[in-house]
Amino acid sequence: MKIHRRNKDKSGNPLTDNMDLSQRYRKVEEIKLGLHLEENLKTLLQLSGNSIDVKFRRFSINKNIPGVLIYIDSMINNASVEEILRVLMIDTQKIECRDESHQLLRTAIKDLITVNNIEEVNDIYSLFAKIALGSTAVLIDGQSEALVCDTTGFKTRDITDPSAETTIQGPREGFVETLWVNTSLIRRQIRVPHLWIEGLEIGKLTKTMVAFAYIKGLADEKMLAELRSRLNRIDTDSILGSGYIKEFITDQPFSIFPLLLRTERPDIVCSAILEGKVGLFVSGSPHVLVLPAELPMFLQSPDDYYEDAIAGSFVRILRWAAVSISVLLPSFYVASVNFHQELLPTALLLRVTASREGVPFPVFTEILIMELLFEVLREAGIRLPAAIGPAISIVGALVLGEAAIRAGMVSPAVVIVVALTAIAGFTTPVYSMSIAFRLTRFAFTLLAAVLGLFGVQFGLLLLTTHLCSLRSFGMPYMMPVAPLIMRDMKDNIFRLWVWGRDTRPKLPGKREPYRQASGQKPGPVKSYNKKENKNGY
Amino acid sequence: MGIEKITNRQLFFILFMMRVTVVIGFLPVLTSADAQQDAWISAIVSFFGAALLVLIIVGLGMRFPDMTAVEYAQKLIGKWAGKAVSLIFVWAFLVIAATDIRIYGGVLITGFLSETPLSFIIFTMVIAGSIAAYSGIEVISRAADLLFPVFLSMLVLSLMFAIPDFLLLKNNLEPVLARGAGPVLQGSIIPTIIIAQYLILTMIIPATEQPKKALRVALWALAGASAVLVLATLTVIAIMGPDRGYRTVFPFFSMVTTLNISEFLERIEPLTLFAWGFGVFIGVSTFMYCGSKGMAQILGLEDYRPLVGPLAVISGVFAIHSYQNVFQLLTFFQPKIAGPYALSLIIVPMGILWTAYGIRCLQNRGIK
Repeated sequence: MKIHRRNKDKSGNPLTDNMDLSQRYRKVEEIKLGLHLEENLKTLLQLSGNSIDVKFRRFSINKNIPGVLIYIDSMINNASVEEILRVLMIDTQKIECRDESHQLLRTAIKDLITVNNIEEVNDIYSLFAKIALGSTAVLIDGQSEALVCDTTGFKTRDITDPSAETTIQGPREGFVETLWVNTSLIRRQIRVPHLWIEGLEIGKLTKTMVAFAYIKGLADEKMLAELRSRLNRIDTDSILGSGYIKEFITDQPFSIFPLLLRTERPDIVCSAILEGKVGLFVSGSPHVLVLPAELPMFLQSPDDYYEDAIAGSFVRILRWAAVSISVLLPSFYVASVNFHQELLPTALLLRVTASREGVPFPVFTEILIMELLFEVLREAGIRLPAAIGPAISIVGALVLGEAAIRAGMVSPAVVIVVALTAIAGFTTPVYSMSIAFRLTRFAFTLLAAVLGLFGVQFGLLLLTTHLCSLRSFGMPYMMPVAPLIMRDMKDNIFRLWVWGRDTRPKLPGKREPYRQASGQKPGPVKSYNKKENKNGY
Repeated sequence: MGIEKITNRQLFFILFMMRVTVVIGFLPVLTSADAQQDAWISAIVSFFGAALLVLIIVGLGMRFPDMTAVEYAQKLIGKWAGKAVSLIFVWAFLVIAATDIRIYGGVLITGFLSETPLSFIIFTMVIAGSIAAYSGIEVISRAADLLFPVFLSMLVLSLMFAIPDFLLLKNNLEPVLARGAGPVLQGSIIPTIIIAQYLILTMIIPATEQPKKALRVALWALAGASAVLVLATLTVIAIMGPDRGYRTVFPFFSMVTTLNISEFLERIEPLTLFAWGFGVFIGVSTFMYCGSKGMAQILGLEDYRPLVGPLAVISGVFAIHSYQNVFQLLTFFQPKIAGPYALSLIIVPMGILWTAYGIRCLQNRGIK
């Protein structure tokens, strides 16, 4: 059978219906555009299988040279395609091309067409990849090079509020699915040629554009080389979004903690790039990856900078406290009710014991049920259309919570603990991090149920070891805290005033440690003195 | 992974926590001799003794800043003799790790988890410690960075909350040196020889960024730990009285138990133990790292990691079986027993190496 097919291929019939994808790859790689228009057309038609959205528009130059325009419907800007057609059908009449010098004809046409980007392509794959992004290909009889004109005009989503990372102040721009729009959002903030954006295509079928932006001379070259090699190592047929890339290039795939920051806010990416980090854009994804990332980054929000420094620091400390609550509170509750009643003040202990009167479940089961219930509610809330969203919260909060307490199934104390935990968990600005914390919370609760506070301590030791052993692109994950870098503490758990933050983070920004001159603290007018102030103001 | 490097600050944190956990764990100045109300003077005396031993331990390491003790021992006294001497170091790490864990288990069992089997507690700590040791000295020292503030705030808080009671009961500290210097010196023996812990420096110095400053760091850590010991002893004697302090197994934690900060926080003991456990963890993981690293170098292995598991199991079993109960542990920490034992762990190998080093120096001079 195989031999038969191979013979058939050689006999000039390049593509048959029963060819598998990999055979098609191999076949198409061999095919180049030929000189004969009809044959080229036949190949292209065969290759694209007469797909209904691929349009072939025939025309002829000087009424004797036939040509065809290939584009994909609704990907193009109609006006520019019409302009190209007008050039080809009308303006070319002025060209004297009775001879067979096609090269001349092509150059002449190239000069006439007024789109901003025009390329000569004779490889079928790149031809298709370009058409699929809105370009228009011009094939002319007798020419083995297609002219690919940039006529992109497809619809993209408008730049809107980043929906998952809201801030009260600060810019309201969020990334969109189009790579070029995303890079432009960075480019218009950092307007120097030193902002380099490298691009490559990943995925044999999807041909996804991946780009990474950094400041040349600031970002560590070793890290960039590492990133390049990790990206080039990817050999897959599809990349659908930045999540794919993230899983391919992460340092420690089995850790639940995200080692790359995913954000949809250009201001976060900009500030990271200015610290010597790298922003990684993936076409089709409104999330940009920032690397290397360290844990404190996930607990910072742009709002901290738009607020007053003291207020911002306060919010940051609050966030750390909330994270500790969301990870440890249920386990402390379980441990103290089960093992260490002495930890609770007597009055509180009596209340808790009284409220547990008649509850049929052990405290761990109770907590577990309520936590899982909450997770289910939350998931349901995300999946539901916005219109029914409030309904689920009524069912969840009122019916389940209230009724469960009334019926004596769970104690009110547990509901308070779970609610506190949930609210505290919502303060984590980055979603992937809050998931990681939620998972560790379950582990801690289990350890507390088995071993009490001692189990919590065991869990904390394991967590510490794990977090301290993580690295993101060579940088320690707990960076300014462990290893302790006092200089970076200026903008970590606290946030100093902008005039006081004269250094970049030590490790990512080691090539240019200073970002501004020191001693820029503002103050009242220096020349002011009492003598001049005659009127006593 | 490349060469692991730790900073002097991290080394300080490790050494400080390592010593403080043990010396305040059962306050040997008070429980190992009858210095009674003068125990705090023993604590001061022990600083000088311990500093001398630190000089002996670190001095040689600083002359070979790129080598661990196992490596320079082989260079100084030949391959096989060097390996034999190095075995003493590894044995010391094993014994100290086991004792550390046993003290931790003892504290938890007596005051906290009286119904949990000891082996369970011990092996949980062994597992946590060995995972950290497996991850390497860098991870241990980063964990030290992270846990040090917690540990320190525990110490400061417990001592601070004791101030009101301390002021009320400070009469317990008198009379000073009523019974002469004998008991005081006797009381200082155990805290002095606990400095055998700092034998880890013989393994860690090559991993520090500035080996030249290791001695200074070690002495500062020792000074810090001694200051804590003096303060803790003073507080315990004042609040519990020398008699009760002498008879209690873990006086510091008993003292913390008696503290009543306010109506709301009646017992902070579990939280103190919680933070204290962090210090034990740092100590245990460092011993396991040094032990397996030393053993690997003796056996000529490139990577120490395969040895962490076996060593962890051995030290866990060791911790359970070498002491039948807490009182046997305390008996071990009598000056008569632990004194010569731990001292020989330091003096014998270091003595041999120093002698060999001295002879080498003389030879070299002779050649010139």
